[in-house]
Amino acid sequence: MIASQLRSMWLVFRHLFSRNATVEYPDEKPYLAPRYRGRIVLTRDPDGDERCVACNLCAVACPPDCISLQKTEDEDGRWRPEYFRINFSRCIMCGLCEDACPTYAIQLTPDFEMCEYDRQNMVYEKEDLLISGPGKYHDYSFYRVAGMSISGKDKGEAVNEAEPVDVRSLNL
Amino acid sequence: MPTITIDGRQYEVEEGQNLLASCLSLGLNLPYFCWHPAMGSVGACRQCAIIEYKDSDDAQGKLVMGCMTQVRDGGIYSLDAEPAREFRGAVIEDLMTNHPHDCPVCEEGGECHLQDMTEMSGHTYRRFRGLKRTHRNQYLGPFINHEMNRCIACYRCVRFYRDYAGGDDLEALGRNNQVYFGRQCDGKLESGFSGNLVEVCPTGVFTDQTFSRHFVRKWDLQTAPSVCEHCGVGCNTAPGARMDFSGRDENLRRVVNLYNRDTNGYFICDRGRFGYEYANSDLRIKNVLIARREQVIESTGRRNDKLHREIEPPAALEHLATVITDSQRGRRRLVGIGSPRTSLENNFALRQLVGPGNFFAGLSARDLELLHTLDHIQRDPRISIPTIPEIEDADVILVLDEDIGRTAPRVALALRQAARNNQRDHARQLEIPLWQDACVRQLRGENNPIFVLASSAPASLEDIARAQRLASPAAIVSFAEQLAARISATDQPTTTDGVDSSSTPLPDALEHLLEEVAETLLSARRPLVISGCGSQEPDILAAAGQVAAALADRHGAPCATYLTCPETNSLGLAQFFGPGEGGLEQLLEELRQRDSVDPPVTLLLLENDLYRRLPAADVESLFDRAAEVVLFDSLLQPCSRRADLVFPASATPESQGTLVNSSGMLQRHYMVYEGSGYIQESWRWLVDAVNDPACSDVGMDSPAALLRQWKHCHDVTAAIAAAVSCFRDLPETGPDENFRIEGMKLARQSHRASGRTANRAHWQVAEQAPLTDPDSPFSFTMEGVQYAGATPLQANIWSPGWNSNQAIHKFQQGVGGPRRGREPIPRLRREPTAIPVLLAKQRAGQKPGQFCLVPTWQLFGSGELSNYSDAIAGLADGPCAQLNTADAGALGLEPGGRLQLRMSGAEITLPASVSDRIAPGVIGIPVGLRAAPDLGAMLPAAAEIVRIENPEPVEPGESL
Repeated sequence: MIASQLRSMWLVFRHLFSRNATVEYPDEKPYLAPRYRGRIVLTRDPDGDERCVACNLCAVACPPDCISLQKTEDEDGRWRPEYFRINFSRCIMCGLCEDACPTYAIQLTPDFEMCEYDRQNMVYEKEDLLISGPGKYHDYSFYRVAGMSISGKDKGEAVNEAEPVDVRSLNL
Repeated sequence: MPTITIDGRQYEVEEGQNLLASCLSLGLNLPYFCWHPAMGSVGACRQCAIIEYKDSDDAQGKLVMGCMTQVRDGGIYSLDAEPAREFRGAVIEDLMTNHPHDCPVCEEGGECHLQDMTEMSGHTYRRFRGLKRTHRNQYLGPFINHEMNRCIACYRCVRFYRDYAGGDDLEALGRNNQVYFGRQCDGKLESGFSGNLVEVCPTGVFTDQTFSRHFVRKWDLQTAPSVCEHCGVGCNTAPGARMDFSGRDENLRRVVNLYNRDTNGYFICDRGRFGYEYANSDLRIKNVLIARREQVIESTGRRNDKLHREIEPPAALEHLATVITDSQRGRRRLVGIGSPRTSLENNFALRQLVGPGNFFAGLSARDLELLHTLDHIQRDPRISIPTIPEIEDADVILVLDEDIGRTAPRVALALRQAARNNQRDHARQLEIPLWQDACVRQLRGENNPIFVLASSAPASLEDIARAQRLASPAAIVSFAEQLAARISATDQPTTTDGVDSSSTPLPDALEHLLEEVAETLLSARRPLVISGCGSQEPDILAAAGQVAAALADRHGAPCATYLTCPETNSLGLAQFFGPGEGGLEQLLEELRQRDSVDPPVTLLLLENDLYRRLPAADVESLFDRAAEVVLFDSLLQPCSRRADLVFPASATPESQGTLVNSSGMLQRHYMVYEGSGYIQESWRWLVDAVNDPACSDVGMDSPAALLRQWKHCHDVTAAIAAAVSCFRDLPETGPDENFRIEGMKLARQSHRASGRTANRAHWQVAEQAPLTDPDSPFSFTMEGVQYAGATPLQANIWSPGWNSNQAIHKFQQGVGGPRRGREPIPRLRREPTAIPVLLAKQRAGQKPGQFCLVPTWQLFGSGELSNYSDAIAGLADGPCAQLNTADAGALGLEPGGRLQLRMSGAEITLPASVSDRIAPGVIGIPVGLRAAPDLGAMLPAAAEIVRIENPEPVEPGESL
């Protein structure tokens, strides 16, 4: 019994000389990997257009139901969110919205430092979330693979698509 | 009942059914595409493959298509056997080779049968490396979006559109894997049932364009069972609503069909599906409005028009309460004007408040006479009122001057199925099961006889009618009378009380038909007579009743008779009035004869546009004689210009109430979402006024005091049942607000509704308690009972693995059967009375040289509420005078000409529209149009053509 107590004291004493696992946050900040699951951003495709197509999959995947959006359609035929709202005061940073996002629009960032005196300021709109670049996926553009035609990309011009069928020809 | 074994378990199944339908009825999950419960099997998609074993020793078995194989007593089958699963996986992999990478931007996503079946078949990884074939889309009109790339060529669309609904402008074009489903060229789909393509298509080729404009996924829609408010058929619908951009109000996003076997089955018409947008119209009233004192300058408004400003509801209620108190003391007369487009509850509350003597129907005397004639016929024990499946079962049909395709479209769709009953009988003789759709349609055999007599050609009956004759209403009446006489005594010459056939000679075309129709109807086993209020001619209804009664006498069994009512609650409203009372003309007459000592009159106008009921001058005169007009309505309609006080009333999807359809069925619609602003049901405004302190003088013995006892909608429903004997089954239309299943309410939202903590967060991040609903068995949240088939009140058709509306088989008692838990729909309990021998009155006939003006109807344009929907408003034709080609030639009318018509007391000038779709000697006037609402109020009438204005001749070469 006395041996056990002596061993514990020895272990504690030895820790005096080991390196600290914690840092003096916020004076000193730990390294967070680029794929750290912090708050979300909305990215743009390589052409600079919003990637979000307002499919609602993030909203339905969200466990605390803190994402809300409304689809609208641009003149060029693209779907985009009329508004995209996330209530970060409810967000649990689980990243399921990123998993659900079929267009790589939602990406998580290492930013988690969202402190506000007023909880109302934790409600982010699309304008607050949009960044100007493509994030982690530099080349992906949903509409280049999707079958829907938008202005500038006609039917048959997407990846792996054949020329549109002319129904009036024999199509042999 | 045959017993079969599926994967080692024994089941009892319906005899003669196919394996796919049997499996679905048993609750087993078997994927399919081309099969549809209403359209049967064609075996095109090969998706429902299962293994059939010869006997219990057979270990190998063979692949059969579930939808093409009849169940065999003692048969042994397997859905789970590896070869069957592999085969189904391979089929879906093939179907998916060309499917685009579209789901996030597809309106069908989340309720897509293709998604469900792909999941069910286990296909997850695309191995095909070839190119995807692509197609160009077409413009298909304001209702439907087309995205042909998504097509998997199951052929359901053309099978519905052409074979089931009789359209001819959608077809399968092209060949092999490039087959294209579309029109020959861009243009609106002409069928009035095109909206069903959205639900029939298993993927997103045809999607709802109006829904796409304010799209949300199915799981986000808040739903409750409702009843379509756009005609008298009473189809059941499931409107879906969702919080709007502001996070304060909810709005209506779409309407889909809600299966009810007896009223609409799997399909509804386009007016019902796309007419919902009136509920989101800019003209919605959301606050209480009061007239301002300032006079309107006549150059900007008409004389007597009022400008309004918003006031707080308590002030308005206090005013209304004062008026009610005054009326109790005899210092004021309260007059209530009811409405056929709102619930019994609203009408009854108003009637209770003002007293039956001061309650008027809000219909012209002629409209009421039509409804009473109809009611009278339906009361006769010799008449039976068919449900939709019974209409589909009829073998001989007579349509008397009712444009059924435009006034009761769902019934016309059922008629189209009835036309094929000969084919079905033939199939039964050959022992071909009826679900073998392609085989049954191959069988030769004439259509079942459908005889159509009309003053203007009805929509979409010509191709199935054995004979369609255009004649004046008078000729049709005398045809029907002679027909009735011939049926009741085939061997006697045709004379009955008062009608001498020689005095009303029939045109040759009808004379020849008379014998044929009489014989065919007499040889029929299940004859059906169809007529209705569409002709606005009570004689037509009476004559139809005579034919049906004569048939019933001869057959010794009631004769199925479907008579259409114009509006969603016309028949219910008519029950409050005896024959000859309650018309607006009577009210106008009473007001005209008022002495100066009589108390001033306050008109309480309930959800009714009187300009559609009476000539505009009469309506103005009615308003001029009222000291005050109080309007309860959902929309700023023309009458609101004359109102002193306007209360915002809820639209049908925003309220609970009971409607009586043309068949006398009592159906309840539930509140889908709370209306924005101060919108509430009209009866609640009346109850609030009676409960106001300013109304405390209303004694407990006064009838109006009954309103104080009403808290929930069911209280009003129960009060109606107690007060009016024909409504005594009313409480059976649905449970009261205390109804629970396992202690829970029914959830209006799906279990995965999203955005709960975000959609209001931009103006209030702290979450509010969810809205509670003390008035109905539903909750406004996702909390409550969700599962399929628990109750027929479940309107969100969803089941695990079945996100699309195909999940409906989980809610039915067998495929195509009634909903689980559904009791028979209660009907009006009317005292049976025999039709008097001759109801038809011979009205003053037209003089030589005069034309008979008859109302004609439009599917898009004649419906009051649907006219406020954007998609439909754009399709309505303008007012015109439809004239037969021969008449136009005789008159020297040139294309583009105008006609000036003189009726008794009115003159109208209309552009002429010349065609062969109208009987000679008849001029058709489209009624119910927003541009000219009161045209219908003057019809039918005899008129003479005063003047013909032909267009100025164009000089040759001028057009260059």
